[in-house]
Amino acid sequence: MKTVVIRFTAVITAVILGIVFFLAMVYLGNKSKGPFEDILSGVDAGIARTENQMLNTRQRRSAALEWFNAYRNNKLYINTIDTLLLGAYDDATQESYENIIQLEDSLKTKLPVVSIYTAWGSKKDQVFPLLRAQALYDLGSIPMITWEPWLNDFDPLYFVHNNSGNADVNKGGLKAIAEGKYDAYIDKWAVDAKKFGMPFFLRWGHEMNDPYRYPWGEQNNLPEDYINAWRHVVNRFRAVGADNAIWIWSPHPAYATYAQFYPGHEFVDWIGFTGLNYGTVATWSQWWAFPDIINNAYNELSLYGKPIMVAEFGSLAVGGKRKTWFKEAFESIYSKYPAIKAVVFFHAANDNSISYKALDWSFKQDTAVLSALRPVIQKK
Amino acid sequence: MKSFLDPTVWKSRRVQPPNVWSKALLAALVVAGCLSIARFFNWWFREEHIASLALFIVLSGIMWWGVFRMVMLWISYLGMKVPPKPPALKRNLSVAIFTTSSPGEPLSMFDKTLEACARISYPHTTYLLDDTMDPRYKEVAQKHGAVWLELVGYQGAKAGKINEALKKTTEEIILVLDPDHIPFDNFFDEVLGYFNDEKLGYVQVAQAYYNQPLSFTAKAAAEQTYGFYGPTQIGMNGYNCAVAIGANCTFRRKALESIGGHGIGLAEDMITAIRIHGKGWKSIYAPVIVSRGLVPEDLGSFCKQQLKWSRGVHEVLFAELPNQWKGLSAWQRLSYFTIGTYYISGFTMLLFMIFPYLFLFFGFLPANMDFIDFAVHWLPMAFFAITIYLFVQQWLCHPKMERGLHWRGMFLKFACWPVFFKGFILSILNKDIPYIPTEKKAVRGLTRFARPLFLHQAVFILTVFLVVIQRIYFTHEARLALSSGEIWGMVLFATIGFVMTFGGTYAAIESKNIRSREPWNEIDLDAYADQVKKPVSIHPIKEKFL
Repeated sequence: MKTVVIRFTAVITAVILGIVFFLAMVYLGNKSKGPFEDILSGVDAGIARTENQMLNTRQRRSAALEWFNAYRNNKLYINTIDTLLLGAYDDATQESYENIIQLEDSLKTKLPVVSIYTAWGSKKDQVFPLLRAQALYDLGSIPMITWEPWLNDFDPLYFVHNNSGNADVNKGGLKAIAEGKYDAYIDKWAVDAKKFGMPFFLRWGHEMNDPYRYPWGEQNNLPEDYINAWRHVVNRFRAVGADNAIWIWSPHPAYATYAQFYPGHEFVDWIGFTGLNYGTVATWSQWWAFPDIINNAYNELSLYGKPIMVAEFGSLAVGGKRKTWFKEAFESIYSKYPAIKAVVFFHAANDNSISYKALDWSFKQDTAVLSALRPVIQKK
Repeated sequence: MKSFLDPTVWKSRRVQPPNVWSKALLAALVVAGCLSIARFFNWWFREEHIASLALFIVLSGIMWWGVFRMVMLWISYLGMKVPPKPPALKRNLSVAIFTTSSPGEPLSMFDKTLEACARISYPHTTYLLDDTMDPRYKEVAQKHGAVWLELVGYQGAKAGKINEALKKTTEEIILVLDPDHIPFDNFFDEVLGYFNDEKLGYVQVAQAYYNQPLSFTAKAAAEQTYGFYGPTQIGMNGYNCAVAIGANCTFRRKALESIGGHGIGLAEDMITAIRIHGKGWKSIYAPVIVSRGLVPEDLGSFCKQQLKWSRGVHEVLFAELPNQWKGLSAWQRLSYFTIGTYYISGFTMLLFMIFPYLFLFFGFLPANMDFIDFAVHWLPMAFFAITIYLFVQQWLCHPKMERGLHWRGMFLKFACWPVFFKGFILSILNKDIPYIPTEKKAVRGLTRFARPLFLHQAVFILTVFLVVIQRIYFTHEARLALSSGEIWGMVLFATIGFVMTFGGTYAAIESKNIRSREPWNEIDLDAYADQVKKPVSIHPIKEKFL
């Protein structure tokens, strides 16, 4: 009987001890994951930086953009810029920005602004995109980051708002942000942004006034919650000293409720809006010329005295003449909309964001558009 | 280990049986290890990880084949059973020692071995199975009271001579002793008592060495065996599937006769063991050091030995195992399968090393795995694997001398992948290689077995050179930063393989200028009289065979 007891105890001890050892390792692993990721991304960026320094043997893109250095290295200069900056977003830049280069080559110009998108969350790729920002800076451009406060991807272990049994964490999400429920994430992001060290455009919670689009829209939040959240985020950045962020407040031009969402002059550096013509691609859309899209918004928002950016600029090819659209758009910017200081081409060949089918905004193969654009974009 | 002349080296040793609590702690580590593996498994096989299905399958095969073998080893550890010191004999057994000499083997070595045999205290007859056709061997045998049997021209080298000698002798118990092994005087005291059990077919004891301080290769080669003759075989013994491998196996004549004599082939000892198991005989593995022998000192000799074994072991896998399948227990099947597939690592190692080059040259990627995610899921498993590896070292035969991470052994195993691979391919093609006894003395010179290592190094250096050129002059600057992590990560991956060639390279260079000595001549058996007791009697020469 005694042997049986000893053996039984030994087996139970072994199993329990085994589970404890295992859980301890898993705990340690999870605890060290964050720091490890930081180290690794630092190493990644470090290697890229070293490599970049060793590559001075070649003709560099940044040489062609040297005129832009004075602006991009100084937030004050870029906020009072006296020329029209061009930029682009391309959706196929996971491994390389060569698509941007191809677009530049077809336009016969260099684009000072390159736009990228990143979402909020606890995943590895939801941190400040240090490597990308640095890559764009090394190419001679200024990074423009659209930072989307989706709340679904946060780890409920560390973010109580995701843990409170809400059916939809995005309901009242902006209030939770303003109350500091996501400060750990914001602070970490801001500290990393500060490490990047150079000014960059930061477009947070765009199109907040469109109640059908993003979870941070009016359907889930009150306008004052948006303002509070915006101010809170900006204040967190200021608290950690991440003053290199250039804040773009970017409402949707089609909903005339912008003013209700405006966080105030001292919290905003630039004002942005989208200028996208969907043509006749869907039942709800029709062919709008560029002034038709932005005129009301411009007239109201230009009164705020901030430089304006057309943060997503483009036209589909269905339902009208794209080359005319682009040509007239630029002509109207020069003649009627002098406060517009930046235009960022939305050059996604495979945009799945809005309808059941992929939309193609790209035009680098469209010779008619290119030959219409080349002369107007040079006219600075 | 300072020197093999240190008297503690020549002390007889026996592993202490594990107590219930150290077993429980081991079991706890195994439970934790298995949970870690389950977690790793659950993470590994996710659809989003597949980059190229074919390559992913290959990579998964390599990874999980290794894990499977490790788990088998853990399970065998859980079954560890150290047999108690053998009881007194119920009746006296007649005992013979067979040791074989072949042309070219150093005469002075036999002088030492036969002298040591003569000192073994239990009454026995030593037979020298000789085909050197050199009269001096007969003289040496007679000098130490051994029976000299001239057995020239029998097929199957060592095994052929043993079978012929079996016909000419009558002893019930036969120790097959490799001639480079110096037995201790208490050899039979640690072994014979087990034969009280009439169903016992053989007793295998540990193979220990004394010349490992003489070179890197020797140290490394010895390191590869420590765990096997400690916890691994002790564990296999617990499932009655301990294998006879190499020297120092004591057989019951009836068991050998039941299988028609000693097995013939490159892995003759294993063939014999599997056949004896197949006939239903029991076996015992006794974790005792009652002799010490030689391990190859130069890389060339080691690789030749490994080639012989890998070819031979595959023969066991392909030919013997299917034949004996019916007679074996489930554990024995698993055990022989696991050992029979040991040398397939030559093939998996090759595939593993090719991966970074496939990516760097052709952009083929087997898996989309985040490095940190991989580390977080892999490291707990690796941690428990190392912990278990170190924990079971308390059951090594000579822990003080044998403990450690055995990094030299790992380097040497890596250096041998082309050899294992060749053995594997030769087995598939059913091509034979000749049976040559492993060199007893170090062979000087740069061995041809080092060539694949140098080729590997050249390919690596060329690849790094091309990558650097590519990135300085050709990769578009808009791609550089975003691809640097991936490219240099793969170069790092290739660097692991490159660094692993250093051990083999060092061994090859050391072997090029190695001093060939005859270490047995430096051993004075009388000096270890307190360790190796004086002989009780020398058995009279049996005239009838001379």
